Amino acid sequence: MARILLVEDNEMNRDMLSRRLQRKGFEIEMAVDGKSGVEMGRAGKYDLILMDMSLPEIDGWEATRQLRAAAETADVPIIALTAHAMAGDREKALEAGCNDYDTKPIELDRLLGKMAALLGNEGADS
Amino acid sequence: MKRENALLRLSTGIAEAESETDVCSAVVAGLYDAALGYDFVAVLLVDQATGDRVLVASEGWKDAPPGLRIRPGQGLSELPLLDGRIHYTPRVTEETRYLPTRNEGSEADVPILANRELVGVLVVESNRPDAFDEDDLKILTAAANQAGIAIGRARLLRAERARADEQEALRATMADLAGRLDLGTLLKAVLERAVRLLGVSHGELAIYDAETEELEIVANHNIGRKDTTGTRMKLGEGAMGHAARTHEPLLIPDYREWSGRSAQYAAVDFHAVMVAPLLIGGHLVGAIAFMDKDPARQFGPEDLRLLNLFAPQAAIAIENARLFTAAQHQRQYFQELVDNNPVAIVTLNEHHDVVSCNPSFEKLYGYTQAEVVGRNLDDLITTEASRAEAVRYTKQALEQRPVEVISQRRHKDGTLVDVEVLGVPVIVNGKRVGLMALYHDITALLKARREAEEASRAKSQFLASVSHELRTPLNAIIGYSELLGEEVEELGVAQLGDDLGRIHASGRLLLSLINDILDLSKVEAGKMEIHCETFPLAPLVKEAAATVGPLVEKNANRLVVEGAAAAGTMHADRTKLMQMLLNLLSNACKFTRQGTITFSVSRDGADGDGRVVFRVRDTGIGMTEEQMGKLFQAFSQAEASTASRYGGTGLGLAITKRFSRLMDGDVVVESTPGTGSTFTLTLPAVVRDSAPAGALGGD
Repeated sequence: MARILLVEDNEMNRDMLSRRLQRKGFEIEMAVDGKSGVEMGRAGKYDLILMDMSLPEIDGWEATRQLRAAAETADVPIIALTAHAMAGDREKALEAGCNDYDTKPIELDRLLGKMAALLGNEGADS
Repeated sequence: MKRENALLRLSTGIAEAESETDVCSAVVAGLYDAALGYDFVAVLLVDQATGDRVLVASEGWKDAPPGLRIRPGQGLSELPLLDGRIHYTPRVTEETRYLPTRNEGSEADVPILANRELVGVLVVESNRPDAFDEDDLKILTAAANQAGIAIGRARLLRAERARADEQEALRATMADLAGRLDLGTLLKAVLERAVRLLGVSHGELAIYDAETEELEIVANHNIGRKDTTGTRMKLGEGAMGHAARTHEPLLIPDYREWSGRSAQYAAVDFHAVMVAPLLIGGHLVGAIAFMDKDPARQFGPEDLRLLNLFAPQAAIAIENARLFTAAQHQRQYFQELVDNNPVAIVTLNEHHDVVSCNPSFEKLYGYTQAEVVGRNLDDLITTEASRAEAVRYTKQALEQRPVEVISQRRHKDGTLVDVEVLGVPVIVNGKRVGLMALYHDITALLKARREAEEASRAKSQFLASVSHELRTPLNAIIGYSELLGEEVEELGVAQLGDDLGRIHASGRLLLSLINDILDLSKVEAGKMEIHCETFPLAPLVKEAAATVGPLVEKNANRLVVEGAAAAGTMHADRTKLMQMLLNLLSNACKFTRQGTITFSVSRDGADGDGRVVFRVRDTGIGMTEEQMGKLFQAFSQAEASTASRYGGTGLGLAITKRFSRLMDGDVVVESTPGTGSTFTLTLPAVVRDSAPAGALGGD
């Protein structure tokens, strides 16, 4: 069962996405801002991190850069989640070190596809 | 002895007399002496023009009419003029020639010769018949001789003086006329000179208006109570009009009896009138008229001679002055245009120094004309930033290439003024003499425009923020309805599935509407960025076709894709291109049932600067010309009712149009109602990156 860290400041988005992913068999932990996201990410040995880009304290791009800079999280796959399909967001996210990128509102099937690609065989157990 | 004294007095009187009239008066006064005993003494002088004898002086006839004229063929006084001898008539009543003034008496008529020419008659009468003896006739002959000598002398003197006057008058006139170019003053001067030259009491001068074919009196001398200035006469009307029409001088012995007199001069009672046209090479410029209050004054060959000397010169002077005045009026006209112009105008010489400026310039820049004349314009009104540019423009305008720019200049107090500048060379007779610069103050205009743009930007910004804020709760609605949809079965409330589906579908529609508004307002706020990447076209086409697949099936349509394999790559904003293609494809699906939608891609033009053409053709309901007209406007589906029937925000095509323009391309439509529509999107194969400042980021 893959361990996922969801970094998201909006409570409803956090609740909704975590519940849907849990239903798919993932183990979800959550951080509410960029700073705690980095701390939890480095401490928690996650298989994948879902990173909202617009966050309080430090934003998603900066949090991603810090995670990439740290030895223990340098290789953990990170998927950026941004609001609107803004051209440029994708490159910006990839530049910061994200492995992939998806837009909100979440289309679960699409996101699951991207997660599965990054997790390989360690995907959800369903 | 008494007689001798009388004659002595007579001689003294004649010697002292200067003019003809004085001589005649002295003769008459000397002979009308108690010692001599004559009852009537008179001198009549011959009018050379008419041959009339004119009464110049007389004694012994109370109320003698001055200027009385006796026509040839009448009176005893003509006899000496016919044979040059003295005539004595002892009994006047026996003579048929006698013009009866008394019942009986005698009369002596003595010729007066001046310079061997008969100039008049001395007439002496007595109430008694046979009153004259040999002695009387000797005395009278001596008096007539003396008078003749004196008259001859007076005439010489007068001619001498006239000639001197004439020379002086002509000299003065010409000097004056050459110097005076002010028409009004000049015309008056011309007339005064002419009046003095001819020794007349009255004169009038008219100039000719070729446009109306009228003469207008512009100057007069001594004309009665009524000022005739401004009187206009048609060609041919009155004496002036007559001379103007015939181009010949006209002498009228007695104007009161002249048949051609103008109604405007009906009340005038001049006797002799002389009129001459003023001509330059046969071209009429005016007319001049002379009159004299003295009935004895007639105009003769001498007057005509003087007039012929004078008139051509006066005509030239008048014409010069008229041309000068016209030029001055023209100049004044343009000066008025410049002075009252709301646009600031300045003229420069070839060294960029100010020659003149108008009041608007003074107002715009705070300098008075005195402060700027002779100074370098670019030193005065430019800023550090605009100086080099201004100098370049000045140079360019001097090189005969007009300059038209919007720029900033400096007021005297240092503040900046937004101006629209127009610089043009001033060319006179093909020669460049300087330049003229016009400054239109557009400070208020620019301010208004900035405010309007600011307001428009603020509106777009507001719309963008509102749309953005709406999306967060909307995401929750969509997300939870999906979550619930997954959970309904497990919760055993499957009957709620349909309702949840409706909430979910409405949420998605609302979201796409908001996204479209956000896109449009970003384009309109100038904040839509283009991010280009190079990508192969075949996968893009495939992806678009796949995405629109469910919509194609929904209306039982068939999708045909053409040309994708050979399309190659392009460099553009892939996300926006995809959005445009999906808009066109979903549109085609929406308005077509059980038909075919053809999606083709092709290349147009050379590889380097070629274009990629995407075409979406459907066999749907089509559109009329009118519907196509507003198709690409925001919130305008061809008909208001269409939105409810076919769904959609009505923003897709507006967004597609704007995106295509952002990428230097365009989208156009061809359509036939009932047959179908074809949308053609053309983009450069290599789109230029553009990066408007301050894109909206974050969620």
